[in-house]
Parts: sequence; structure tokens; C-alpha cells
Amino acid sequence: MLEEVKLNELNYLVERLSREELVWLNGYVSGLIKNSLKSEPKSAKLSGKLTITFGTETGNSKKIATEFATKARKQGLTVKLASLDQYRLSDLSKEENFITVISTHGEGEPPSAAKKFFSHIHESKPDLSKLRYSVLALGDSAYPLFCKAGEDVDTQLATLGGNRISPLQKCDVDFETDALEWFNRSVNVIGNGEHVTPIQATPVKHVGRKIYTGKILAKVNLNGSGSAKETYHIEISADDLAYQPGDSIGIVPQNPKGEVESIIQLLAVDQKKTVQYKDHEYSIDELLTNKLAISYLPERVVSKYAVIVKQNIPAVRIDLIDLLKIYPPQGENQVDEILQGLELITPRLYSISSSLQAHDGEVHITVARNCFQFDGITRHGLCSDYLSRLSDESRIEFYVHKNFQFRLPAPNKDIIMIGPGTGIAPFRSFVEERVNTGAEGKNWLFFGDQHFASDFLYQTEWQDYVKTGGLTKMNVAFSRDQQEKIYVQHKMLRHAAEFFKWIESGAYLYVCGAKEPMSSDVEKTLLEIIKTEGQKTTEQAQDYLNQLIEEGRYLKDVY
Amino acid sequence: MSTALSPIEKVKRESKGLRGTIVESLRDEITGAIAEDDQAVIKFHGMYQQDDRDVREERASKKLDRLHSFMIRLRLPGGFLTSDQWIATHDIAGENSTGVIKITTRQTLQLHGLIKSKIKPTIKAFNEAKLDSIATCGDINRNVVCSAHPKQSSIHEEVFGYSEKISELLMPKTRAYYEIWLDEEKIKERTEEDPLYEDRYLPRKFKIAIAIPPNNDVDVFANDIGLIAIIENEKLIGFNLAVGGGLSATHGNTETYPRLASVIGFVAGEKNILKTIYEVLTIQRDFGNRSDRKLARLKYTLDKYGVEWFKEELEKRIGFKLVEAKSYQFSDRKDFYGWHKNHQGLWYYTVFTENGRVLDSEKVKLKSGLLEVAKTNKANFRFTCNQNVIVADIQEKDKASIQRILEAHSIVNHTESATSIRKNSMACVAFNTCPLALAEGQRYLPSLISKIEPLMQRHQLESEEIVIRMTGCPNGCARPYVAEIGFVGTAYGKYNLHVGGDRQGQRLNKLFKESLDEVSILNELDQLFSDYKTKRNTKETLGDFAYRNYFN
Repeated sequence: MLEEVKLNELNYLVERLSREELVWLNGYVSGLIKNSLKSEPKSAKLSGKLTITFGTETGNSKKIATEFATKARKQGLTVKLASLDQYRLSDLSKEENFITVISTHGEGEPPSAAKKFFSHIHESKPDLSKLRYSVLALGDSAYPLFCKAGEDVDTQLATLGGNRISPLQKCDVDFETDALEWFNRSVNVIGNGEHVTPIQATPVKHVGRKIYTGKILAKVNLNGSGSAKETYHIEISADDLAYQPGDSIGIVPQNPKGEVESIIQLLAVDQKKTVQYKDHEYSIDELLTNKLAISYLPERVVSKYAVIVKQNIPAVRIDLIDLLKIYPPQGENQVDEILQGLELITPRLYSISSSLQAHDGEVHITVARNCFQFDGITRHGLCSDYLSRLSDESRIEFYVHKNFQFRLPAPNKDIIMIGPGTGIAPFRSFVEERVNTGAEGKNWLFFGDQHFASDFLYQTEWQDYVKTGGLTKMNVAFSRDQQEKIYVQHKMLRHAAEFFKWIESGAYLYVCGAKEPMSSDVEKTLLEIIKTEGQKTTEQAQDYLNQLIEEGRYLKDVY
Repeated sequence: MSTALSPIEKVKRESKGLRGTIVESLRDEITGAIAEDDQAVIKFHGMYQQDDRDVREERASKKLDRLHSFMIRLRLPGGFLTSDQWIATHDIAGENSTGVIKITTRQTLQLHGLIKSKIKPTIKAFNEAKLDSIATCGDINRNVVCSAHPKQSSIHEEVFGYSEKISELLMPKTRAYYEIWLDEEKIKERTEEDPLYEDRYLPRKFKIAIAIPPNNDVDVFANDIGLIAIIENEKLIGFNLAVGGGLSATHGNTETYPRLASVIGFVAGEKNILKTIYEVLTIQRDFGNRSDRKLARLKYTLDKYGVEWFKEELEKRIGFKLVEAKSYQFSDRKDFYGWHKNHQGLWYYTVFTENGRVLDSEKVKLKSGLLEVAKTNKANFRFTCNQNVIVADIQEKDKASIQRILEAHSIVNHTESATSIRKNSMACVAFNTCPLALAEGQRYLPSLISKIEPLMQRHQLESEEIVIRMTGCPNGCARPYVAEIGFVGTAYGKYNLHVGGDRQGQRLNKLFKESLDEVSILNELDQLFSDYKTKRNTKETLGDFAYRNYFN
């Protein structure tokens, strides 16, 4: 019943107690339980209908929405709970009370599960003059467009005539308290049939998350010579590490030294100059190295810059260094304004590729050094470049980003993992976890990349797992080793009968890697397999897949 | 000595007629290798599993498996290809392997760097060109070699015919090759009866060579069976039979040694000749050592039981007596570079091919040139045991056009300008693919020769046709033990120096200095050349001089 960590702590304590102390503890604990039962508030019975929806990517919104649904039911409300991608959109104009929990991703985007809902309210524009609603927006204040998706939904529902039960509540990564307060406020309004009176939105409480300071233990480019790719396996150690297979870590990259130096020269300020930025003082060097995004600035930042330097600047993404060269600022005031107009460096998330069961006190990640062409010049992604340049023993700050949507099933369940490219990362964590905890379920892994000889990530580890039974099956697809392109979905199809048999016997399906085209192609193939092997119509196959999703047996971590 | 069978014996017996689990191994997607037992079985299909030893360490740190690939060796009795077959080989090499066509020391061709998935397409393509790789490796009779140059005598064609007949006679009976690689349907579950090899095959590899005196270009005494053509009045009357040659040895194992074949008699008539050869194999099958593979070649069987016993056993099996060996004379062991004409007026151009590697370099466009020659369809291709190619069987009227192609690709210039020691040198493959290599072979010898050439010049010996050979280990693929100067690798960058072999390949050389690095090698050779220059007898070869001077 207890999580491993808690169990360990309990055992640690119990082992050190004398008999007398144990007896005392027994009494103490039962007293605790009695009191907690007493203190459960006897809430007044409420009445009314409530629809709770959620749009989730990593499972936080779902988790919280489900908790609210349970609570509201206990309090006497009739509650309907639905994920936004399962929610019948035509119901929206008929709802009495509607609350939604929605997270924000990337550049202020809603989670993919909420995309249909999003376009419905923005494009179909239903009349919502009868709707009473409230929005809980989850986000991460490390990103400039904090809670943007929730804001958009809240504004649009109002535009369409909806009335707020309670104002939009924005929550940062540590969301539990704020969310609960918002919920209680909302439910009280609903249950007591109160008229909706606008209440002042409560400000977001920024609670810091646990930041780990890790040490790089090892870093190796997994790709062999002749590969077009660079994929780094990075091992980091840190104290008190806690994470689950499926989680990611967030890393805030540093800007390249050379570029920062050039910018300071262009700004014509002293390197030691201190600058105030959002309630903190930094040396300009530190600010530009560790805090502010300076490359590939978004259009909104470029427009601000244009206003500051009073120039006409086309609204395209551009590096700060280029802006400074082409449109140099005049005077120190402008310099300060420019700095204030810049946004924070956003953290990058990397799927964890290790298990604490196998590597105590360590977290491993698998980072593709991102290469792209911009204006005819080969450039590298900021964070992957930063990571690939780190040397052994160097320090790095990171936090753990939980992903409740991507968890291993019970140990006796079978799993099929599809993870081409760096999509392999969480599955190394999965397999390590299952092998080291003696999970008896079967494990089938699909991997793909460009070339067998140079791009088979973690090849020798997988070979050992296959030999020793840690992996039941492994199939690989290398797209560029032959005339025709072979991808993971082709390998799924080649083993269609067995694939379907595994699903039929209750296997959990995991997909990790590129959203497009990989995860779409995999899904198409999955439907194809269900259709042919299960002798179903297209519609039945889709229902079958929906059922898998419902049961939490088809899980994706795609980007 | 242990009498337990060596593990490979079990693998052979349980291989279901050389099938093993090769089909399953080919299907295994997560490794470029095949199962361990299959690595022994696949040799009988003419392949070795290898890996790039240069990158082993780096790949291990990257969690990548060894970079496995396969070497495939063709069965070319007597070393002959038509133009079309050369073109096919050229294309297959370009498509599926490293691109380099390697002429071996046993008159055939091999391709390196085939990845697992390319094996089947390669064998299929060879099959379309009527070529196969059956039994070119493994414990079985390997490619049969014979004196290469048709100008040698009018009986060349007849002797060449024997190499094909012997090869056919000693083929395994299993259809495994056709089933696995060419998708031939399996007719019955039972594996085929093979009266010669049974399910045991031979205890070790088996090599047969045929020499036409006076040239011993095939190194006839380095083979398990050596046949020496006996010619009277321009007619082939039969062969002297030599048995028990073999050059491989193991460092630090005094029970192993190189041995030249013993001539035990003369046999005439095709039926009797083939019967005799066949029964030599059955004796080795029944009496060869199957517990220690290092002592399993016919030479050890022969020395264990004695030459007389062997002769008696053979005569018992063939049902007739061997005639006393006829006299013969070897005077050379070389290739005839450049243009030569045979008795029918056909022309032959022997191309110098350093270490047998056919490729285009900056200096000489050998591979393109040979392809262009093949495309004229006016020449055949023959390979020598000195790893050279002969552009062969050219009509008088076509000679000029072939000459122009060879010149245009700098092949003529390359052949003519190479020094005689370079042309008489030979090295094995060794690094980076040979799993046995202790030291470099073909990647190193050319540069060492470049440093030996000035020494020869200094001692005015540059016109001497001294035979220099190098191998990266003591197994003797490039036959260093019958060279006048032999280098045998002992560790990376270190070689044992052997001297004293004769020019014709009838006397083994001896270990002269141990584990020399390059500087010491050059110092030793400088001294050797100086001694030779000052103390040699008239017309005495370097090998004979060294033997007389250092070992008597």
C-alpha cells in the first residue's frame, strides 16, 4: 500500500524502535486516526449539476479534476467528469455549471487533448449566455506565456456570453493549495444557488519547486562514427533524488559565453554592471548567461524592442545579437528597457532514461543535439548544445517534472513500448525499473532510427536484456539501411498477429518520440492491426482503441 | 593429451547438414552477428564473421555492439573468371561490400564488410553469375589452386581441368547452401547422406594445389595435398603426390610447426588420380586429431602415424600401389608480369596487384581499368597465388586495344615501375577485420617495402627477386615460412624475422630474430644485405645464402 520511499522510511524508523516505543507508537497512531476522522468537516449537503472537464498532457489536470469530482459528489452535487477530447461539444451550451481544468504547453498552447474544444469555442462560437463557468489554469511561471491556454478559454467563454462562477485561477507548478481554494469557492457558489457575483481573482502564489544541483558523472555520444546524428547519454548524480519512470527533468540552459560577451560589447556597458530584473539584482553577465533568452527571440519581444529603439523592425524571430547590430540602442535607458523586455530562458524537458532502482542517486537523460538550418547557417538547439558541451564533473541545475500520464502498470501486466530515436529514453527507465523490481509482466520494445551500424541507441544494453529475459521481444527498424524506408510501424505490422494477441491479453501500450509523423503513423497502424487481426470495421477498431485509452492502456509521451 | 572432442566437432555434427540455426540468426534484428555456433557453420558456406577491430573500444563506450560484418570467399578452382563474371563481381562488391575486391593467396576472390542483411543478396547475385562460395572456408576441402599462367605449357588447360574436377569431387552433399541463401525448397526433412564427410566433415581445413614445373607459383608444398604435374613429350602423364604440407603454427606452442608436404609417389589416369585424392581425405577424416584443433591438420596425422604407414593405409583404401615418384625440377615461384603469349598464340597480361587489393587509388585506377577490360568482352580473368590478376586469353587482334585500356588506367606503368621486391612481396589481411591478427599485414607491408627499397639500392641488390612475405599472426595465410624473408606478427608493431627459405619454396625458412620493431627490422635487413653482398656465392639467392651463412 505504501510507496516504496515511504515504506523505506517507515522501516528505517521501525527498525530503530524498542518494544516499548513501538507500543507507544501504536497508540499514538490510532489517536491520530481518530482525530483526523473527527476533524473531517461535516459539509452541508448541496444540490445542483456540475460538469467537470480537463485538458491534460502530463496528467496533472486529470488528477486534480478527478479529485474535485469525488469531492463534489460527496457534497451532494450531480457530477459529470470528462476529458475535453471525449466531451460532447454540443452539450456545452446546455450546461448549467461547467468548470474546466486546463494546462498550458510550449508557446502558450493548450494540451492536444483540448485542441478540439479550443477550436470549437473559437470557431463555431456557440451561444453560451446560459452557461455558468469557471476555469482553473495550470502552468509553469518559468515560461513567458504562463497559463495562456487557460486565459484564452476563460476570455472566450465570457465573450460567448458565459458567466463566471468564480474568476480564472492561475496556478504555478505547486498548484494544490490554490486549486483547492478555487474549487471550494466555486462549489459553494454552485451548491448554494448563489448568483454569480464577480469576485476578485486571487493572485498566483509562486512557490518554488525543488531544484537539484547535479554533477555530471558521464557523458557519451551514443552515435557511432559515420552517423548523421549526435545523441548524448548523460548521467547526473544528485542528493535526495526522487522520480518515477516516465518523469522528465527540466533544465534551464546557459547561453553560450562568446555570444554573451559580444552582446555586452554591443550594449556598451560594463561587464560588472548590476541590473534589476523582476525584483532581483544580477550582474549583467550573469543575467545574460543564466536568466534571459537571447536567441531566436519571439515576435512579441522583437516588437517591444522596435518600440524601445523607435525603429521599424519586421516581425520575425531573430537573435538579440543581430537586433543589436542592425538596430543599435541609443543610451543607457534604452539598454535597460531592452533588458526588461527580454523573457526568461525557458526550461527544456528531457525524458528520464534511468530508474533509481538501477542507478541509486542518479538520473540519466538521452539528448539529441538539435541541428537545424537557419538563414543557411547550421545552428544548434540552445539546451542540447549546452548539454553536449558540458564536461564531466561540471554542475547542473534541474528539477523533476512529473508525468502522471506515463506510468508503468502493475508489475504483472505486459507492456509494449514504441520509442524510435530519443523516444527510447523512458523505456530504458521502464525496463530498468521492471528488471530491478522483478516485475513478472512481459516487455516488448520497438526502436527505430536511421542506421543500424551507428544509430542503435543503447544497443548492447538491449542485447543483454534480450539474453537475460529483461526484454521478451525487441524489434528494430532502420530507415536508411535499404532502398525503401522502414519505420517502427512497419515492424508492428510485420508482427501484427502477435501484437494484437498481446493487446487482447491486456498489454499496455506506450508510445514516445516525435508527435509527427511518428505517433500518428503508429496510431494509424495500430488501428489497422486492430481492424485486420480483430476482424473489425473501421468504426469498431476506433471504438476498441478508445476503450484502450479509457482503460489507460494506450499512453503517449510525444513532442 | 585430452581426447575429448573439440567443441566445434559437436557443432558440425549437430548442424543438420551445415544448416545450424543460420536462418534464425539472419532474422535476429538486434545484432549484426550470428549465433556463436552458426559462426562455425557459416564458414562451410564460404564466410567468416568479422568485426572492425579498430573501433571496438570506441563502440563499447557508446553502448554499441561490435561492428560486425562478413567476408565472403568465392570457390574458383584454378582461379578463373569470364568477363561477365568479373563485371558481376565488380558490381556486387560496389553494392554490398567495401568495394575492394581482394585476390587471395589461394587464387580466389573475397569481399569484405558485408553486413548481415547483404549476405543473401550477394550470394543470389553471385549465383546468377554462376558463382558460389561453397566450402571455401571451414573444415573441408577448400578452393583448389593450380599453376596460373597458361603460357607455361600446352598441358595447362588439362591441369586446370583437374582443379575443377577435384573441387566437384570433394564438394559437400548437403543442399543447405541452396536452401538458406537461394531459397531452394527443402525436399525432405532428413539431412543428406555424405559418404565422404559424413556428419563430421574434416578435423580441420584442407588445401589442395597443383603445380606445373618448373614454376612453383602455387607453393605446392604448403598444401595438405600437392600435385606436381609430370610431363613427358609435352603430354601430362600423371602427378607426383605430396601430402602433409601446411604452414600454420601457434606462438609458444612447440607442438605446432610449419611443414612442407612429403612426396610419396606417382599416380596416373584420371580415375586413379581422383580416387587417390578422395582417399587421402578419408584417412584424414578417420585419423585426424579431433580434440585439439591446433594439431588437427593432415601434417600432424602424418607425423603421428608416419609417412610409411600413411602410404600403406592409402594403398589399402585405393586398392592399388603408388608408383615411385617421377623426377621434376622447380626453378621459380613467380608470376610472369606483363605480356606473354601461350602456345596457341593467345596473349596474357599479368597485372601487379599489391597485396591482391583491386581498387582505384590515386596512382593506379586498377578497378576501373579491369572493369573496362571486362566490358570489351575480349578477355578472361585469372588469379595467381601471388595475389595478382592476369588479363587472359586475348586474341592477337585485340591485344592493342586492351593495352590501351591498361595504359589509360596507369596499370601498365604501375606494373612496370614496381620494384622486384615489391612485386614478389605478399601480406595477409590482418587488421582491421581478421580476428586472429596480432599485428598489421597488408595495411603495413607496402610502407615497410618503401623503406626496404632504399636499403636494397644502397647494397645494389634492387634487381634481385627476393621473396618477402608478412602475416599478422603465426597462422601463415601469406605463407611467410616459405619466404626468403618472412615476417610473422607477434604483437602490435612487432614481428619475428625469418630468413633462409629458398626461392622455389622447397625449404622452410628459420626464425632469425624475435619480436622486432620497425627500426630493428631495418637494421637487421641492412646487416643481412651487407653480408649477402660481400659473402654470397655466384648466383646464390638471398634465401640460400642466409641458410648457409646463419644456420650451418
